[in-house]
Amino acid sequence: MSPMPTAMTMRKIVIAALGAALGAAAGLSFYQSRHLPEPVVPGPGVTAVKKLSDYFGPLEGTANDVNVYVLEGAEPGGAFLVLCGTHPEEPAGRLAGWIFAENASVSKGRLFVILTANRSASTVTRLGGAYPPDYTIVTPWGGRTFRMGDRWSSPLDQWPDPEVYVHYPSRQELAYIDIRNLNRTFPGRPGGTLTEKTGHAILELIRKERVDVVIDLHEAELQYPVISTIVAHEKGADLATLTSMMLSSEGGFAMGVENSPRALRGLSHREIGDNSDAVSLLLEAPQPFLDATRGRTDRALLLTGRDEFVVRAGKQGLLFEKIDDAGWPIDVRVGRHTSTILQILEIWSEDNPGRAVVAGGVPRYDEVIKSGTGAYLKDVKTADPAKIVYE
Amino acid sequence: MTRAHRSPALLLAVLLLTMGAVVPYAGQDKAVKAETPVLVTSCGQSPGPNTIKVVLQRLKLAGDTDPLATAETLKAKAAEGTPYRSVIIVMGASLKGMGAAGISIEDEIKRSEILIAEAKKAGLTVIGAHVEGMKRRAQGATAGDTTDEQSIDAVAPRSDILLIYKEGNSDGRFTVISKAGNIPLIEVEKMMDFVPALEKLFGK
Repeated sequence: MSPMPTAMTMRKIVIAALGAALGAAAGLSFYQSRHLPEPVVPGPGVTAVKKLSDYFGPLEGTANDVNVYVLEGAEPGGAFLVLCGTHPEEPAGRLAGWIFAENASVSKGRLFVILTANRSASTVTRLGGAYPPDYTIVTPWGGRTFRMGDRWSSPLDQWPDPEVYVHYPSRQELAYIDIRNLNRTFPGRPGGTLTEKTGHAILELIRKERVDVVIDLHEAELQYPVISTIVAHEKGADLATLTSMMLSSEGGFAMGVENSPRALRGLSHREIGDNSDAVSLLLEAPQPFLDATRGRTDRALLLTGRDEFVVRAGKQGLLFEKIDDAGWPIDVRVGRHTSTILQILEIWSEDNPGRAVVAGGVPRYDEVIKSGTGAYLKDVKTADPAKIVYE
Repeated sequence: MTRAHRSPALLLAVLLLTMGAVVPYAGQDKAVKAETPVLVTSCGQSPGPNTIKVVLQRLKLAGDTDPLATAETLKAKAAEGTPYRSVIIVMGASLKGMGAAGISIEDEIKRSEILIAEAKKAGLTVIGAHVEGMKRRAQGATAGDTTDEQSIDAVAPRSDILLIYKEGNSDGRFTVISKAGNIPLIEVEKMMDFVPALEKLFGK
């Protein structure tokens, strides 16, 4: 007969059981977040849905073999690439891209849209950051739920991190974690990590499709000086300046311009411009959710951009963008992106008629604010199931 | 927004037709004029000079942009037989811009002072411009960063004309400088108003 377990043993068993239960609950949440399906109902303008591996084979079967939505007009022209989800935790960019994929029509030239440039990063949230796993955009027919995502590729897809990340090919030393940051790994390399391969594949798309302009959509904390602005490679300085002037005068919101620093490597606005013929621009919209002084990090903050602590930081002169009790709602942030993209398209097309890209069907800033982002998301339930694709 | 307002070319045409109504001259000197060719430069390496450059290009006004222009730039152009007639120095500093150029605000102030002295000696019109609003003022910079204001101090009081985006003068700083030095102040309400403002200034 075996002896009765001691009190100490019993305590260990209970603690282990509790730990296992917590681990199972957390694991289930992580699993559901990682595998949350995100449907896309391609709009009338989508003429093909390619994969990123079509441009760089070794990406096939990986988490980042993402969809590339192609909108080709009847009339030949130039080519634009709208890059969303380079940092999936900045949702206004992905949502603006969704509006393009589900609504835009192109009459001249070609428009490429990638909704989740770093899909791996969209399947995880900030470790230890207590981020919500997802968020829901209210629509007239219910709602559409999206993965929250993170700034960095999931460690499940790329691990371990080095002690120091040495950027390729500049050999600039960057923070170790940024080896999983797509916007620090451009132009990428074919034999590199998953994130580097992704950057390389995007450059291959740009080169093979003769893309003229790349627009990378982001959001920034209000304590970061590069905010509410277009960061422009020198090739796109005039385009960005005129866009800024037009939007600030007639677009309903102020938009600045910053030059892409030559000494900061790995960023899309620098490396895409340096390593291809394309003009590279990066757009930053304000997102208080990312501010270090924020309060509760929940879905409401993500979507309303309202936070009393960030407002208080503003009163102390610590912010580079204004904020009040109205916050920075998601519709305002999405509308800034759609309007800016449309303005860039129009100025580019006017100045480069032979490489024009003419698009329609996409709401501008005031329209997105008036109707809400959800008004431009299609009802999956009534869509042709054969046409639905998943991110 | 109408389609006309989204098109730079159409908007330009509308602005030019109505330019008397859209260019406020706070300096009250309606005879303020300058001549081309014009050299556009910076004091602080902000992206601002590109705004002026884009407007000059749209207006097809003769000029060059060199963010690091020196007195030698003026002399070289004069030696070619096509001297500059005006210099536009865009005020406002960018720490990133200066860092990328490997220079400090002290270097920029010194360069600007020598450039202005040479311009005055050669009879050029010096136009101090501030085009990026409060974002390019100390109020919009990192706490303790006064480089924007140092740039303004170096250029604005020595200018013959001040060309200012009104939002950046919301504290009246340029109005005070204008009145103190009797310097004509051209304020524009909207960014696109720089088009008719420069059109009128250069008398095209």
